[in-house]
Amino acid sequence: MRELVLKAENISKYYRLGLIGSSSLKQDLQNLFVKSRDGLTVEDPQHIWALKDVDFELHAGEVIGIVGRNGSGKSTLLKILSRIARPTTGSVRWKGKISSLLEIGTGFHAELTGRENIFLNGQILGLSNAEVKTRFDEIVAFSGIERFLDTPVKRYSSGMYVRLAFSVAAHLRSDILIIDEVLAVGDIEFQLKCIAKMKEISRLDGKAILFVSHDMQTIRNLCTTGIYLEKGRIKLIGDPPKAIAGYLNLDTQLSKHTYSSPHEAPGNSYIKIKRAELENSTIIHFEFWYTAEGNENLSIGIMLYNDLGQCVFDLASAPTRMENGLIKGACTLPENFLNEGQYVLSIAFIGDQSKLLFDFADCLNFNVQDNGKNLRWYGKRVGIVRPEFPIQLLNIDRDGAI
Amino acid sequence: MKQSAKLNTVNKWWQYETTASQKWFQFGLKDLYYNRGLILRFTRRDLLASYQQTVIGPFWIFLQPLLTALVYLIVFGRFAKMPTDGIPPILFYLAGSTIWSFFFDSLNGTMYTFISNTHIFNKVYFPRLVVPMSIILTQAVRLGIQLVLFALIYVFYYFIFHTASPSKILLLLPLLVLLTAGFAFGLGLLISIITAKYRDLDNILQFFLRLFMFATPVVYPASIIPDKYQALFWLNPLTPIIETFRAAFVENGKIPYYPLAIAGIEIFFLISLGLLLFKKRELDVMDSI
Repeated sequence: MRELVLKAENISKYYRLGLIGSSSLKQDLQNLFVKSRDGLTVEDPQHIWALKDVDFELHAGEVIGIVGRNGSGKSTLLKILSRIARPTTGSVRWKGKISSLLEIGTGFHAELTGRENIFLNGQILGLSNAEVKTRFDEIVAFSGIERFLDTPVKRYSSGMYVRLAFSVAAHLRSDILIIDEVLAVGDIEFQLKCIAKMKEISRLDGKAILFVSHDMQTIRNLCTTGIYLEKGRIKLIGDPPKAIAGYLNLDTQLSKHTYSSPHEAPGNSYIKIKRAELENSTIIHFEFWYTAEGNENLSIGIMLYNDLGQCVFDLASAPTRMENGLIKGACTLPENFLNEGQYVLSIAFIGDQSKLLFDFADCLNFNVQDNGKNLRWYGKRVGIVRPEFPIQLLNIDRDGAI
Repeated sequence: MKQSAKLNTVNKWWQYETTASQKWFQFGLKDLYYNRGLILRFTRRDLLASYQQTVIGPFWIFLQPLLTALVYLIVFGRFAKMPTDGIPPILFYLAGSTIWSFFFDSLNGTMYTFISNTHIFNKVYFPRLVVPMSIILTQAVRLGIQLVLFALIYVFYYFIFHTASPSKILLLLPLLVLLTAGFAFGLGLLISIITAKYRDLDNILQFFLRLFMFATPVVYPASIIPDKYQALFWLNPLTPIIETFRAAFVENGKIPYYPLAIAGIEIFFLISLGLLLFKKRELDVMDSI
């Protein structure tokens, strides 16, 4: 068994929503009074458990990949592990040095030169002056921006900036590295270089890495363990493919929900789902019982995610005044629009364009097979969508040879 | 690290721990010592960056106090005819404004520790005390440069007009600088924690800070304060600091020992309270920014 380097026990984080920061003294005194009386047990609608009872261990040489949708608590978890925020309950214990890369180029100063910024950023990330000095040539070589070392970074292109910033980060040699989705920037070539570097750090140097990514490919290639977070809780922990499948909800094909009465249907006091069904992977049918509080306008939002967890689109219907009772709706996706692959969709019910009445999250999933049969091209194409917009060709001059 | 002390009895394995709340009286001095290089790095950054793309660059450090002293000389010396206790006016105003601006700039930097570094504090951990310490150090470097200017003007006066002979009191200068820095540091830590949470207090504080300058003998000598307010007036830690500095340039200048000692005690308590609150709350305030 490899050496245990970090143990998170029972960590939870409670956040206040809404008017963060602009709290007034009066409000705070009121809160103080409420808190001292009732503790944290009150389920205040203005508060949310961003993380709840999260437990895991990290060993030397291990790479843990965390997947989960936006708002599932990934960032909060990374913040707590990086010692930027405190957990509301529980504890994190570790040995050795933790470095966190929640962003690359933290603390870069636009007016200063690349050289100055290497030292500045390196030291902010926890290296000593001497350590930056000994790795300086390596950092510069990795970034490939030798010529611009004495130019202020505000004159850099965004690509150069990212390269320099990542090069500093790649030369950290902490026992535990905590990395947010920083790989999502930069060109493909540089991303591959970075992934290779991360492999080297974990496998050869035996450092532990914990990182968040929306790129399932990277998670599959790099991680030894996967964690799937949902609504602040660990839903699944284990082999990366398992966590990914759990996250994408692909274990079970869900293409139909039907409920005969409102009592057994999913939903709440506003919305009860009667039916949600997908026809031929193109038509989304849904029926629901609607109980409005007042004269609200209702609109429907449909969000579609692909198997990389990327949002393909976020549709919203025009707000309309609807009568209480059973309502039926449908949405037809055009044919020849989605690329091959797995998709998951959510249906949201919104009152007055601002109030989320109910989110029927990840309710349907489906698979798109290649249907571009008339094209002389086989295999999956790149791109999130694969529409068939016509491209017109026309001869305008027959004799105009080059 | 101090946190590990208790841990060792529970479990020898772990070195560090993060839990729901920070215990009192843990200053993380070892952690701070480990990050001493970062203090210097931030100081270097601030000094390098503040005069980028300016025409005369670091000469602004000289020019600012000189211009301020000249304005004071004209407004308060010539028009308002304030006495200067027998010190050449330009030296009198320069002494007051140099100490005051060191205090003001240091406080104005440290009190915004959280607000102006929210971005970095949300992304990386390092002992937050690094920031206010580097701000004080940056201002101390500027003060050092300004004191050179002060010395030059002084030497000029001494040899041309043969006035304002230096006294042994000048040897107290390092102590005076240290006291001023400590005052700004302690007060800054305290305010930084409070304003991070209650942003609207910031405007009131700015107003009081400006008023505070007139409660400090910057543009006038302490001797013009009516007797009945003298005791209160000398409770301001900056009063004995500036008065001592000025006393170095008059014949038979007297050191205000008592007020200076009281100022030392006040500053000591301010730093202790500031440190205590800062270390206790340094991570939690980020949740409310």
